[in-house]
Amino acid sequence: MTGASPHSPPSLSDAFIEALANLRSQGRRSLLALIGILIGTASIVALLNIGHIGQAEAMKAFNELGVDMIRIQATRTSSGGHAHFDRSVIDALSGREAMVAEAVPLALGSGRVFSGPQQANLSIVGATTELAALNRWRPVSGRLLRAIDDGSTVAVLGSQAAASLSAPGAEIGPGSAIRLGDYVFTVVGVLAERDRQMLDATNYANAVLIPLAGARRVLAGDQPNVVMVRLRPGTDQEAAGRRLSAMLADPRTTVQVTSALEVVAAMGRQRAIFASLLAAIGGVSLLVGGIGVMNVMLMSVMERRREIGLRAAVGATPAELRLMFLIEAGLLSAAGGVLGAVAGIGVSLLVAMVSGWEFVLAMHVLPLGPAVAGAVGLIFGLYPAVAASRLDPIEALRAV
Amino acid sequence: MLTLTHISKSYGARGEVAALTDVSLGIGQGEFCAIVGASGCGKSTLLNIIGLLDRPDAGQVAFDRRVIDAGSRAEAARLRNELIGFVFQSFHLLPRLTAWQNAALPLQYRGVSRSDRRPRALEMLDQVGLKDRAEHLPSELSGGQSQRVALARALIGAPRLLLADEPTGSLDSASANDIMALLRRINREAGLTIVMVTHDRDLAARCDRRIELHDGQVVSAEAAA
Ligand SMILES: Nc1ncnc2c1ncn2[C@@H]1O[C@H](COP(=O)(O)OP(=O)(O)OP(=O)(O)O)[C@@H](O)[C@H]1O
Ligand SMILES: [Mg+2]
Repeated sequence: MTGASPHSPPSLSDAFIEALANLRSQGRRSLLALIGILIGTASIVALLNIGHIGQAEAMKAFNELGVDMIRIQATRTSSGGHAHFDRSVIDALSGREAMVAEAVPLALGSGRVFSGPQQANLSIVGATTELAALNRWRPVSGRLLRAIDDGSTVAVLGSQAAASLSAPGAEIGPGSAIRLGDYVFTVVGVLAERDRQMLDATNYANAVLIPLAGARRVLAGDQPNVVMVRLRPGTDQEAAGRRLSAMLADPRTTVQVTSALEVVAAMGRQRAIFASLLAAIGGVSLLVGGIGVMNVMLMSVMERRREIGLRAAVGATPAELRLMFLIEAGLLSAAGGVLGAVAGIGVSLLVAMVSGWEFVLAMHVLPLGPAVAGAVGLIFGLYPAVAASRLDPIEALRAV
Repeated sequence: MLTLTHISKSYGARGEVAALTDVSLGIGQGEFCAIVGASGCGKSTLLNIIGLLDRPDAGQVAFDRRVIDAGSRAEAARLRNELIGFVFQSFHLLPRLTAWQNAALPLQYRGVSRSDRRPRALEMLDQVGLKDRAEHLPSELSGGQSQRVALARALIGAPRLLLADEPTGSLDSASANDIMALLRRINREAGLTIVMVTHDRDLAARCDRRIELHDGQVVSAEAAA
């Protein structure tokens, strides 16, 4: 007898090489099934990666302020007048309300700012040292506002604001003079760049910060119209928002409360829309792709009945025949899955770009695409494979 | 080496077509045996039962006095791979495989590695005089050459028994003669037992022994040589 022991099944590498050759001979039909699987996998991979990107984005938006923040904004009622809060009431909040850890007021407005021949429309923020600490501002040059600045005409510029007021050769920086309305302010510092946080009252990069106590000079008053409240951990944000807005509202002022959790929830809803869309596309495509795979494999079994009969005659067991067709189906689908994973990452990159989110790649998603696709291939390939293994070898050999 | 006892086989929903009726036969080791008879008399059915491709409704098949009871199809497949080589009228070469790959096919189901299969297939092709066609596809081979590849495939697993159902049925007489000579030589040199179905009286005459079937029954079986 010859070397190898009888009865051992063909090696897997053999099976794969054969499956590849067989698929190639199926040409266009294989390609169509592959495209179906590809679209399905792409949708699923895109879905998961977009979820990952969105979550990273949401976390980034809170990693400096934290998720226990709420922002309370005064808006004008129909009766008109300047909407604002009483500074004394706000200053008393953190002492009197058990749920408030910290309440930081600011006055927000906007106006035209001049620097020599340069001018720009900027947000004007009446700020305190507490706001600087809360936002973790850092000066890139000069210094931040200090408590002793209250009442004096000094200003700190956001990074973009400084850039837009600079002229070539006339960089604006500490010591420069800028004009707001009728007042000339001395720039004492420029803020370092920093990602905009979800609850920021305005884009501070594009703002000029002046002491809150002297804000009356250029804003409608020196009373704050925004309060940033840090709640004590574990506080029910919705209840806190309701309670605080009830306290702060008066006939001239309505109050708008935005909580971090609310924003997270809104982002989550946006992602859920993407997710359900992609899940639907993914599911349908995988189904279509799976049926395509089943079709390709059934045709293949029909066309290769003589081959199946011959293989059975020379010793292929039903299980080996089944495996042969399953590997073909799995390989076809897995190939679609690999291409689909690549396409899915491309789609998530596109969505990230459109949404203005930073692209990140969820590594754990990558193998999932081909795995899901392979599983679809195996599920839909099972019936044709079983059909092949059930063929009567004599009948199969007689086939034309 | 091969003993059939009271084999019956019928087809049809109620078994109305009796293909074989109470066939008993003994075939000795090294015999080259022809099965002859009119079309439809049950020759192929008999060969399929001997070859474990089909199971009789009644009766037993024994190799070396050991009754073969292939319980499952998988078991039958393994026994075929180990014991039996097949040659068919229509060659049944796989069109996408080269000559040597076709010849090597049975080894694949014994788990012989690709690199070990090739030299053994080339050796078999050499024995049937086709070494120079090893890399050709079946579509590039003549009928006689194709049947020789099929013969190499049947022999590569060193079977106990070679079953050939009209191996020359689709060949011209020159090629048929070549194949017959090859079978004779293999039978003589390797002592391989061969059972061949044929319609050709001349070829049957060149076998050790002729078994004639008529309507599913053995009407004459010359004594074992
Ligand atoms: N799968 C089948 N279903 C029904 N009847 C069958 C089947 N296979 C064979 N038969 C019948 O059994 C009988 C024997 O058939 P078999 O193929 O063994 O004949 P044969 O001697 O090989 O004929 P030929 O010389 O034409 O090949 C015939 O009557 C045939 O019609
Ligand atoms: Mg026949």
